[in-house]
Amino acid sequence: MSSDDKYDSALDLLRRLDPTKLKTNLQNLISLEPSMAEDLLSSIDLPLTIKQDPKASNREFLCCDYNRDMDSHRSPWSNDYYPQLTADDLAESPFPSEKLRELEIICNDSFDVYRDLYYEGGVSSVYLWDLDEESDFAGVVLFKKSNSSSSNWDSIHVIEVTNSGNGDYNYKVTTTIILQLDSNATSELKLSGNLTRQTERDFRVDTNKEDQLRIAHITNLGTLIEDIESQMRDMLETVYFEKTRDIFHQNKNSLISRNESEKSAQAEIVKGLQNL
Amino acid sequence: MSESNFEEVIHEIIFDSPAGEIKEVYDSLITIVGENSKDTLLNVIEQYNVKNNIPIDVDGNKVLLSENNKDGASRYFDPIIGVSFTVDHLNRKGLDVETHQAKGFTDDHKKLYQSILDYTVNAYPGNVTIAVYPITEESTEEATKLEIIISSTKYNPGNFWNGDWRSKYIYDIASKQLTGNIDVQIHYYEDGNVSFKSNKKIEENSVNDVLNTISTIEKGFENSLDVSFTELNEKQFKSLRRRLPITRSKINWGKAIGNYRLGKDAAEGA
Repeated sequence: MSSDDKYDSALDLLRRLDPTKLKTNLQNLISLEPSMAEDLLSSIDLPLTIKQDPKASNREFLCCDYNRDMDSHRSPWSNDYYPQLTADDLAESPFPSEKLRELEIICNDSFDVYRDLYYEGGVSSVYLWDLDEESDFAGVVLFKKSNSSSSNWDSIHVIEVTNSGNGDYNYKVTTTIILQLDSNATSELKLSGNLTRQTERDFRVDTNKEDQLRIAHITNLGTLIEDIESQMRDMLETVYFEKTRDIFHQNKNSLISRNESEKSAQAEIVKGLQNL
Repeated sequence: MSESNFEEVIHEIIFDSPAGEIKEVYDSLITIVGENSKDTLLNVIEQYNVKNNIPIDVDGNKVLLSENNKDGASRYFDPIIGVSFTVDHLNRKGLDVETHQAKGFTDDHKKLYQSILDYTVNAYPGNVTIAVYPITEESTEEATKLEIIISSTKYNPGNFWNGDWRSKYIYDIASKQLTGNIDVQIHYYEDGNVSFKSNKKIEENSVNDVLNTISTIEKGFENSLDVSFTELNEKQFKSLRRRLPITRSKINWGKAIGNYRLGKDAAEGA
């Protein structure tokens, strides 16, 4: 089998196996075929972890593969890696260019306001990196919120911004939201997983001035991510609380007879045919 | 990787799979590990099928696998249709079907089977398979315990979802104790991977009416899940992220975004 087939099969398995054991399953698959490690680790979004930045009053920041170098993670607040790297290692570590770092600071500021307004708590971090073309860049916008019980929300927006010329910019966003809900009621209940979607939008940016360009980028990215998160929150609510509950009652239902359910199955087939 | 490590990893992956997707999991695993490991995979799938009481198609009849309907090393039996068979575990089909009389299976057990079947008609809209297996004392060949299993599945891979219900009980005829557990698993995997799992342990004493006890337990469990769904939505989900900001309107992005912070600080008297 080609390595592409193996990689595709690994992705297929990861969407079938228990999403709460994603990390273990990922490690298991890599142990079966170590050559897939790099591709899998860079394409599978794991729940975000939190570190503290000692140079920014121990302010929390989010960690994922995108701000990692060896076992350290770059903080968006001080732009330093923690745990600290040696000078030799640091010389090789990725940092955004000076110009892009200015945009990264504004993005972190703005999305921190957004986080406060929508999440009322939690942590946010934005990391940017340069692309080959000077006016293009990529990055990741992250949010994490946990509440007192063991419920968690992780948003991971991977962005790519390209200048298509004549002042038009293309914004591509791949969003994964990992949502885990645990009930602490008497019966054990776990409702968890992740949904992913891709969005693309073009915006016109009528300026060549650096500071105005930065404001245009954060305005466009902010608007886009706010829209995506609102839509995905509705989608999550539908899938988690309507869809799974409906499927559960298609297996077990004290209220309806089997005849009625066969009718609804038939209706679903008819609907399916109409959609062809 | 050593052979025992390899088997452990395969075991962990297969046992983590939803019951309706074993075939797909097998195909993907074979692509990764190669045809040479076929026997290891099939061996683990047999263990999975027995542990999870998977329904097997035996000449058009569905029969649940269990530790308690084993007939020798690789044959299984069904006391109702009176056959034993070997199993194609990947395709869930019975092979080499022979007539077989189950030890310790009485007319009373057959009646219990029928009454449970009648109960499931109005409580389980899925594809239902049930079993009543006698667990016999070796010396007398009489049943001292009964294993009762209800499996209800609804698979819809075309719409990216599969659902399983399984409740299984051991009824001790002498002590009248009923023990067991209920397992529910729903998998939804369109543009993602969402899993809903729940299980409940059962222990009831002085059970005279087995069917009535089971139906009451299962109805109660179903109702408690409905309550949990509502609570998870109302309490936990809503507290993670708001639908709209505290200001009740979308954010005014750009240079002036800092004003939100000023406004908040002013409101808090900072």
